[in-house]
Order: sequence, then C-alpha cells, then structure tokens
Amino acid sequence: MKRVKSLRNPLQRTAAALAACLGLILLAPWPGAQAVLHAALVLGIALDPESALLTALWAAAGGWAVEGTLRLYPHYGGTPWADMSVALLAWWMIRDLPVGSFKGWLGRQALLGALWILAVHLAVRLAAGPHLWGWTWAWILLGLPFWGWLTWRWQRPGGR
Amino acid sequence: MARRGSSWGWSRAGRRRWALTLLWLGHGVWALSGPRSGAAWSGFASVAARPAESAASAWRAWRLHRSERASNLEAAQGELAALRQQVQSLETARTVDAPKLADAEAAGQLLGLKEKLPLQAKAARVLLAPVGEPFGGLVLDAGADAGLVQDEGVIAPEGVVGRIWSVNATQSQVLPADAPNASIAVMLARSRATGVLQGLGSNQGEIRYLNNQEVVQPGEAVYTSGLDRVFPRGLLVGYVAEVRPGDLELQVKVALAAPLRRLPMVLILPPSSPLEAQAPLVPAQKNGGAP
Repeated sequence: MKRVKSLRNPLQRTAAALAACLGLILLAPWPGAQAVLHAALVLGIALDPESALLTALWAAAGGWAVEGTLRLYPHYGGTPWADMSVALLAWWMIRDLPVGSFKGWLGRQALLGALWILAVHLAVRLAAGPHLWGWTWAWILLGLPFWGWLTWRWQRPGGR
Repeated sequence: MARRGSSWGWSRAGRRRWALTLLWLGHGVWALSGPRSGAAWSGFASVAARPAESAASAWRAWRLHRSERASNLEAAQGELAALRQQVQSLETARTVDAPKLADAEAAGQLLGLKEKLPLQAKAARVLLAPVGEPFGGLVLDAGADAGLVQDEGVIAPEGVVGRIWSVNATQSQVLPADAPNASIAVMLARSRATGVLQGLGSNQGEIRYLNNQEVVQPGEAVYTSGLDRVFPRGLLVGYVAEVRPGDLELQVKVALAAPLRRLPMVLILPPSSPLEAQAPLVPAQKNGGAP
C-alpha cells in the first residue's frame, strides 16, 4: 500500500498540537466546543505519520487537559488512555490505509469518532465510574463536518 | 499492509517502541487500577503537602494578625488623638469658665447673706487686694456712682472685712480689718465683754480695752458690738486665737474669719446701720454661743 508522508514539518505539528491543548483548557466553560476540538486533536492534529510515539503523547496530553479542566472524576486517566488508543488506530489508518476523497475521509472519521466516544466512555467507566458527558458526545457527531474538514485540510491524506 | 522493520532492541526505533508501549500500558494500568489507587496517591500527596500547607497557613495567620494589629493600633491612635483634643478643649473651657464659676459661687454666697441681712446692702466686686497696705487695701469696682460713701461697713459671707476708706467716681478703697489703723467695736460671744479690735496685719487683730478680770478662752467667737455705728451688732469678726494677761488689760489676739486677700465680692452696708442685725448671720461657732 501507498505510504503517506507527512506534509507538515515538526514545528508546525508541535505548534498546532500545543495550541489545541491550550484551546482545550480555555474552552472548558463550553464543553460542546471543547469536545469538538478534542476530537479534532485526537483524530487529526495529533496524528504524526512519522512518529507513533508523538501521536500517542499529544493525544494523551489532550485527554489529560480535558480531564484536568473537567475535574469531575474521582480517578483520572481514562480519557487519555482512550485518546491514545484511538489515536494510534487512526495513526495506523492514516499511514497504511489512506483515503483519496473527502467523503471517504469523513466516513472514516465518523467511524473513528463513534469508536472514540465508546472508548472514552468505557475507559472512564473502568477508571472512575460512569462518564458525566451528558449529551456532549452528540456535539462530536454534529461537529463532524467541521472537525472532519479541518483534519482533512491538515493531514491531506494521499499526499495532496 | 506493510510491516516495517521491527527491532525491539536498543536502537532508536526500538526505544520508541518501548516508550510507546510503556506509555500505553502505563495509562491502561493506571486507568484500570480505579479510584482506589487514586485515593492512595491523593493521600500520599496530602501527607507530602502538609508541611507546605502548615507553613502557608502560619504565614497567612501571621499576616492576618499583623494587619489586624496594625488596624487596631491605627484605630487606637486615632481615638487617642480625638480624646486628647477633647480633653484639651475641655480644659480650655474649664480655664475660661473658672473665673465665672468663682464669681458665681461668691455671688451665690453674697446673695444668701444679703437675703438674711435686713439691710439694703450693695454688692461690689473686688478689683485688687494688695497685701500689707496700712491705709486702704482692697479696691472695689463701685464708687460714688453706686452711692457709696466713706466709712460704710464692708462684709463678706465669711465675716467682717473692713470699712470704706476713700471713694472716687467709679471705685472705692476699703480699709481692711487687719490694718493697724483699723478699729471695729466688738464683743466676745460668751462673756459679752466689749472692746475695740485693732488690726495687727496678716489677717489678725487684737481686742483692746478688755479687763483683766474677763474670762476669755481661745476659739471663742468675736462679733461686732454695733457701738461704732458702722457695723450692726452680731456680725462675725473672727475667733480668739491667743489670750495673755497684761498689765492693765487682757491681751486677746483674734484670727479674722474673712480671708481679706482672697475675696472676689463683698457687700457694703448702708451708712446708718441699725444697732442690731438679726441672727443668724454667721456660721456655727467653734466655741461659745450666739450673741
């Protein structure tokens, strides 16, 4: 299969991931917007086709930022673990199963998004008990056109 | 799917794989360990943070105590300054009012005496009371304009003061009873013996023309006899201070009752005083009964 080479240099990736993490902290009063940005980070911005370790680190950083700002659980760690796991899956997909069209990308992001929501719920339940998202998860699905387009423009799968 | 060259050894790629694996597994283990481990870590963190927390608490308490103490000190200083100002204003007011109070007290005493005295006496303020003046000592603020004439009797609530020595338009001088050239007809309270009091100075006098046979005791009251037609009978003059037998007459020294140098106001008796003044005109006597 065709290998995807990153179009972003390390400085751009680091700056974007850092800005996303800061945005997660600043958007804490608005959980819906925070969830959309969180999805964009985990399923797009954090993905570095050349480094699985950096992908996992930035995804985990996003998870810790969200849990740290929410301060809702008796035990932290579920969200970063789920973020890391789904981000690694997305990393593998973007690296080894590239898609050539925006529609295909959106479909895959929808699938990964739903999987990510379930993973976060499961991991948080295992770590601290029932998740307290409420309907926040719906914002992720409703915001898919936005964060899907954003990650499409950022990653440009297929080398375009 | 292509497999990349996998090496789990001590190469760059191997180290990255190990780090990623440890990162993911560590998060998983940590998440799956549940709230209990979190509580343990929280407990450990709480214990570790105790010294810093206690130090911060002590520091906060010290700052609070210092600020409270400073505010209390400022309030106390402000209150003290206000009290000092108040005390100073009160002292100033008291100093200003002191002469008025003394005058009011003297006027009250004079008024009481005037009401008891069945005479048309006139009140006057003492302007000057020089010590050791043989002829005319006290200076009054009333003169011919008030109808005063020479040789009118002058009394105070405490006792006889003297007589008018000279009169001008607005002031007059009083010959005090202790002047060497002053004489007042007196009588002793117990023996009723009469004599003439002559001044010795220093608020004292001597009764002349008393027979050696008279029995006089120290402390006995001395009253005016009315024989000099200046003072009515029965006004207190003083008390016997010392009695010595003489060659021809008894030598009786009298301490005058009125403080002649410290009188703020006096009463001036009319020129033709009746012979008898109604009792009681005098305070309680040390020894001896009323005249």
